[in-house]
Amino acid sequence: MGTAAKRAFWRNENSGGWIWAFVVLLGIMLLHSLAILLFTRGFLLTRTELSQYSQCNDIAESPCFPPDDHSANRSCWTKPVVDRLVIIVLDALRFTIFELLHGFDFKKPWMDKLQVLHEFASQNQSSAKIFKATADPPTTSLQRLKGLTTGGLPTFIDVGNSFGAPAIVEDNLIHQLVQNGKRVVMMGDDTWSQLFPHHFITSYPFPSFNVKDLDTVDNGCITNLFPTLYEEDWDVLIAHFLGVDHAGHIFGVDSNPMIEKLEQYNEIIKKVVGVLESQSGPGGLHENTMLLVMGDHGQTINGDHGGGTAEEVETAIFALSSKKPPTTLLTTSDSSSCQLDMHGRRICINSIQQLDFAATVSALLGLPFPFGSIGRVNPELFSLAGGTWNLEKSTNGDDQSPSEGNNWMQNYVNVLCINSWQVKKYIDVYSSLSLIGFSEKDLLHVSELYSEAQELWSIVSKNFSDKSQMGFASFPLLKRQLDAYSAFLESVAALARSSWTEFNLKMMGIGFCIMLSSLCLHVFLIRRLDNLCGLHSSLPDYSRKLFGLSFACIIVMIRALSFLSNSFILEEGRVASFLLATTAILQLRYAIMKKMMLLEALVLCLLVPLLRISIELGQLKQAVNSLFLKVDPSKTLGIDDGSQFWMYVAEVLPILALIIVAYLLYKCIASSSSQGILKYVVFGTLFNYMLIALHWASDSSLLRQHMLLGGNGNLIPRVTYAAGFLQLLLLAIGQLIVKERSSNLEQRTVVKALALLSAWSSTIIILSGKQGPLVVLALFIGGWCLIRLMALEQDAKNYSSGSSLSYALPVTQWSLLAVCMFFSTGHWCAFDGLRYAAAFVGFDEFNLIRQAILLTIDTFGFSHILPIFGLPLLVACCYSLRQNKQVFSMRLCQVYLMYGFITAITVTFTMLCVTIQRRHLMVWGLFAPKFVFDVVGLLLGDFCILLSAVYYIA
Amino acid sequence: MQKPLQQRKAPESKNAAVSLASPLKLLLLHLTCGLGLASGFWVAFNFYSFTLIQNSTETLLIVWAVEASIVIPLYSLFRRNPDQCSYVKAIVRGLLGLPAGALVNAPGAIVLGAPVGIQHFPKTVHWSLLMSVFTFVPAASVYGSSWADWHRIFAHTKPVGSTDFIICLPAHGAVIGAWFGAWPMPLDWERPWQDWPVCVTYGAILGYLIGMVVSFGFVVFHNRRHHGKGD
Repeated sequence: MGTAAKRAFWRNENSGGWIWAFVVLLGIMLLHSLAILLFTRGFLLTRTELSQYSQCNDIAESPCFPPDDHSANRSCWTKPVVDRLVIIVLDALRFTIFELLHGFDFKKPWMDKLQVLHEFASQNQSSAKIFKATADPPTTSLQRLKGLTTGGLPTFIDVGNSFGAPAIVEDNLIHQLVQNGKRVVMMGDDTWSQLFPHHFITSYPFPSFNVKDLDTVDNGCITNLFPTLYEEDWDVLIAHFLGVDHAGHIFGVDSNPMIEKLEQYNEIIKKVVGVLESQSGPGGLHENTMLLVMGDHGQTINGDHGGGTAEEVETAIFALSSKKPPTTLLTTSDSSSCQLDMHGRRICINSIQQLDFAATVSALLGLPFPFGSIGRVNPELFSLAGGTWNLEKSTNGDDQSPSEGNNWMQNYVNVLCINSWQVKKYIDVYSSLSLIGFSEKDLLHVSELYSEAQELWSIVSKNFSDKSQMGFASFPLLKRQLDAYSAFLESVAALARSSWTEFNLKMMGIGFCIMLSSLCLHVFLIRRLDNLCGLHSSLPDYSRKLFGLSFACIIVMIRALSFLSNSFILEEGRVASFLLATTAILQLRYAIMKKMMLLEALVLCLLVPLLRISIELGQLKQAVNSLFLKVDPSKTLGIDDGSQFWMYVAEVLPILALIIVAYLLYKCIASSSSQGILKYVVFGTLFNYMLIALHWASDSSLLRQHMLLGGNGNLIPRVTYAAGFLQLLLLAIGQLIVKERSSNLEQRTVVKALALLSAWSSTIIILSGKQGPLVVLALFIGGWCLIRLMALEQDAKNYSSGSSLSYALPVTQWSLLAVCMFFSTGHWCAFDGLRYAAAFVGFDEFNLIRQAILLTIDTFGFSHILPIFGLPLLVACCYSLRQNKQVFSMRLCQVYLMYGFITAITVTFTMLCVTIQRRHLMVWGLFAPKFVFDVVGLLLGDFCILLSAVYYIA
Repeated sequence: MQKPLQQRKAPESKNAAVSLASPLKLLLLHLTCGLGLASGFWVAFNFYSFTLIQNSTETLLIVWAVEASIVIPLYSLFRRNPDQCSYVKAIVRGLLGLPAGALVNAPGAIVLGAPVGIQHFPKTVHWSLLMSVFTFVPAASVYGSSWADWHRIFAHTKPVGSTDFIICLPAHGAVIGAWFGAWPMPLDWERPWQDWPVCVTYGAILGYLIGMVVSFGFVVFHNRRHHGKGD
């Protein structure tokens, strides 16, 4: 379509113009959606949580041998081989702490501090082992605990995760323990009690979020651990120590507190083993107990973790069984490496995937494997338990000793059979239920491996049942079977890793490039519209405009680049207010220079600090549940909440503000000779405001005694929602019916905008509670100042000079004001920043769609909906008359494009920074939520722009 | 635009003895001001063992007091219309400009995000007094209450003549430096110098020094061009 044709479209009096605008804006929106969709597919790894649970009697469906029912009445999937389990979790235990030093010339002080583990591992090699455990990213404690207990690979978005509450809803080890009558005792890190709120019979949780506190959790553990070890009312004990993690975060690994912590743990473990051994005699408390000392993830030298580097994922597991297995070493231990350490002791280090933990422990305790577990029962850890060895001794005790290993192997193969069956079942169920499953090709490959293994199994199992054939002959067969199962399990784990832990950089790159191209399209369109207007600014004015433009660009770029640092993301609201204040001060200076609009500039300067104070109050709220943000409460104004005076102020102020807003609205509408429907809409809003004031008054504690406004508190909010909806409907109908009168286009636009804004405002105010009217008032004043200050940009002489450059700075300020509004209403870019209470204003029961809509309106109302629908005021108010309709519509379209451009730049940089920081410690805590909020905001903004283009231009 | 420029040229040529023959003087002036700043810190550290990080309020007090006692007498030498305005009057003007400038700088800082709590109040006051010494005091000493001159320097940023340069550029440098100095404040490095007003003060001082160097360069350049024209 050539320029001339397009111009003809615009000139076409009736409809051509707005259709063109509509198509362009729709195209941009679709482009954004596509870019975001692709990027998100690559970046936000999603996994669907299934709600199925493994049951004891599921085993009947498997092709494997069930455990002998008569021999052990408590057995379920496998025969329990360990009676009790003590799990000591040392948070952020680096594997290098165990590094054997004979090859090293240097020795770090923190190496080799857990001497006691080396000692045990070298003294009794059959009953104690050290494993190098490899975790999967993200290596944050919460995700790791989830991974350890579910045997899966938790991702950032586990679909189905209940918002807010971190409790695990998937099938997991702890659930299976409780389900099968095991009693679990927990002490230490309170993350456990958040994840498993109702599972422990006794728990001693200690607060974990104060990183500077090295000892509270550990001392709490120690005081409870040793008495509990002598008790007999538990089956599984979990003690989670946090000192090493905190010492790493605060002081780094190379520090004295770290060494002290490690030495302390050395003593504790020594004592624990002492207790276990003293009670390990026949009939003792710990006759058949296994001790696991493990880390949940590693840490870098600086003490950070969260990413996927070797230092962060490599941690350790030390296992010790009090019931000693026979000394014959397992011949298949090909994964272990043995070395002599500096004291000349021979130490073997085996390796294990952290993924395998849940399955192995379930097999040891004889529990059903968690439904979502994709791990493999680790042979070395499994063989440590004495119980796995003398399984068959009682039945055929006269068998020769060589078959002991063979027996064990047989047992292990059966366990692997159950394991593979369970994993296959999970994969099948997952791919049938999940939205984003695995690719067909991979699934087919996995299925082939499984059916191969099953074919072999049918032969092996025949061998099994024919008991007389057991012996050396079947050993190679068993070995083959074992390899077949291992191949299957490994390929499943690889498949799961590729779709749940690895970013798809190609996808992210394509999405990012599309986003960039949309930016280019924006620039191109803005330029093209400039040309279409056919107006060029006069030269002397040009330098000033250029200054405004370049200044706006610098401001936008500063804001965009600030997203590269996590600290600036946390302080985003204050950064925005800082930039807004900078523009305000420069405009004040300019106003002094031109000696006009002084009042407006001053008011804007006064408004910004108020916004900032409210942003800081919001941060105060955030700091309560944020690990990262540390706000000094003294930084903000300390208001004594207790005093009666402030309570009155807090009650009266919102209602007062509401009255002022209503008055202003009335003044605006009364002064303009406006049309029928629009006027009725605004009066409807005034009525709504009255209802809202009444609602709050009846709610307030001051009046409750006097006024007995009984009845339903939900009535007024519902009426308000309905009225708001009706108003919008009226506006839409009015748009269709009322014939356009060409007179006074600007004023008409102003009235239309006011009507639309007022229709939205009552709903948004009641959702955001008492702060609502104050924020609306601030938005009103801020918007008015910005509109008035536009006059500074527009020279009095040549108002018709139509370069869009003069709009750059005001539109930038408008968007900065919108960002400030988001933060000053107490929101922040995290899922705990959503005000869930707002979703239940007017409703008591939960309905997903309804509540989601209300929550969206509350979250983005002040920052996206109102500013975008109000943007035409910027064009209409200060645009002098004598403009024909086409130029006005083009101008409007241009301003919307500009606003969309600014938002899109921000989102582009957010994308860039999450790509760069994808292995950052806070990627899931900070960058990813910011990305989600930005993306939702962008799409919502695009949608609003589209709607308002239809509303205003048509 | 042309007319006022020519009008302003006229008084300048009157005190050309001060404003033109002065690169050396200006160098001395700038050096003294810079040394004044340094000596302020030196006094604070050696006599009272105050550092900006630990005792920001006291250090700022000492620094602005020392700097003001140097700036006011020195800039008063460059006053406009020395015939009508005595040296003492210029000093008094400078002293009056000190709190007045603080009254402008402090709200500016608060608008941009300085903390507003009671315990931060003394720091803000002393910081804005220091900023006032950098920005308002020289102008007050030199121009007095001449609104046209103030308007030209601070609103239009159109300095003409060497006196304008030595006032305008360091003042703008200090403000812009302070603005940049606020940038590291939100970072999570947990360094003591990230607190208000330490890094902002560093930024302002750095900007002030750069402004002095640049203004000296301008004056030299300006003079050379003048000489060239004269030849």
